[in-house]
Amino acid sequence: MEGDIKTIGAAIAIGLGAIGPGLAIGQLAGKAMEALGRNPEAAGEIRQNMVLALVFAEAIAIYALVIAALLIFVA
Amino acid sequence: MSRPVILVVLIGIIVSILGGAIGNAFGLGFLGSPIAHIQLPAEPVFPKPFIDTGSGLIGDITITNTMVASWITIVILAAVTFTVNRKIREVPGRIQGLAEVTFEFLLGLARNIAGDNARRFFPLAMTIFLFILVNNWIGILPGFGTIGWVESPEKVVHHAEVKAEKDHGHVNLDTVHLQVFEGTGPIVLLPPGSIDNHMKVSQGYYLTDDGGLKDVPEGQYLDDHGHLKDIPEGQYLDDHGHLKDIPEGENKENWYGYERKVSKETPNLLIKSQTPGLLIPYLRSANSDLNTPLALALVAMVMIHWWAFSTLGVFGHLGKFINFKQGPIMFVVGILEIIGELARIVSFTFRLFGNIFAGEMLLIVMAFLLPVIGIIPFLGMELFVGFMQATVFAVLTLLFGSMAVASHDEH
Repeated sequence: MEGDIKTIGAAIAIGLGAIGPGLAIGQLAGKAMEALGRNPEAAGEIRQNMVLALVFAEAIAIYALVIAALLIFVA
Repeated sequence: MSRPVILVVLIGIIVSILGGAIGNAFGLGFLGSPIAHIQLPAEPVFPKPFIDTGSGLIGDITITNTMVASWITIVILAAVTFTVNRKIREVPGRIQGLAEVTFEFLLGLARNIAGDNARRFFPLAMTIFLFILVNNWIGILPGFGTIGWVESPEKVVHHAEVKAEKDHGHVNLDTVHLQVFEGTGPIVLLPPGSIDNHMKVSQGYYLTDDGGLKDVPEGQYLDDHGHLKDIPEGQYLDDHGHLKDIPEGENKENWYGYERKVSKETPNLLIKSQTPGLLIPYLRSANSDLNTPLALALVAMVMIHWWAFSTLGVFGHLGKFINFKQGPIMFVVGILEIIGELARIVSFTFRLFGNIFAGEMLLIVMAFLLPVIGIIPFLGMELFVGFMQATVFAVLTLLFGSMAVASHDEH
């Protein structure tokens, strides 16, 4: 019973935690594509900065994943 | 792509699916290995603690597998640095050329971020970058997480009990799983094609009233209330611990031990040359242990504040955080800055740890689902993630450093 609640908690943690980063990554990639269309010469610079920013957005999802993993493996 | 290449890739994917967990459902699974034991804290390499402090505050000092992995990284980095530094020539050779190109490229990157302070921050940022990068990359080499020693079922249950005691619960032996290994000895590995080599502790062991763990004797079984009972004549225990009749005409001698039939058809077989237990790997990716990223984050933050103190002076830097001069609003802003600094340590730590630990878990699950061939793209992805996390850690160190040395009046 207790394990079931933990599993649900972990699922909610990663499920809700993935929404924000998902939106952020979409927004980021969309804006990068827009910038690429306007200024194709700056492709290298745009890609580099986009990937760096993607990693930051992704890290938020990873925090949620850590909480989910903590719930399942430790708590 | 030409047709033969597509064909090879297609065959590889099909073999991987059939050989893995999905194929196992149809009686195949010839490549699959059991899903490894996922554990959050690092495991000790030696069963006993290295230094037994006997203090609950500090705890025992054990040599963990993540520590060994980071020592290997240190040795690799020191060896490469030594080789490059031994013979520095005007016209660089191959290794020196590689080192120079790398350093120049990264120094240029650092100049973009930190400006004039780049030369000052570069040694630490570069060290952090190389340390994390090598740690992440050697962490996905074969042998990491797959070769180790076997922890006995008694120890496994003991650990489960210690954990249950903290939660004020009881150990449910049904939830404690063991892996089955070929042979004994200090070095074992999970053989491929052994997906079903799992057993529950409750199948072979029982807890005595004083908390000890004993083998269920041959010919006996545990009933629903945890009492030992003789297995009745003409019956056997199946994999779920239920009594079943031995089919007519079968020789009773073939039914070994408590519940297992020595036969290739039965998935959970345990013959006398096998050992049950949990694999404790000798090596594990250093950053999948929370302590390594935390140590790196603390080093980075301490150095960032050291730079700030040496540039702005003690009061210049402290004035950013404890500010009485510019009214109550700036005082609250200062308090928020303190919280922000603490949050940086946490986010530094969890970003790196989370990415690498999630990557490890992904690889374990993928090795279970799509073994040997299907896992290759994920290994490539882990290489990229490892590189990106090293870059992000170094770039953030530079960024926070240049933010910290900027005086408050300038912005």
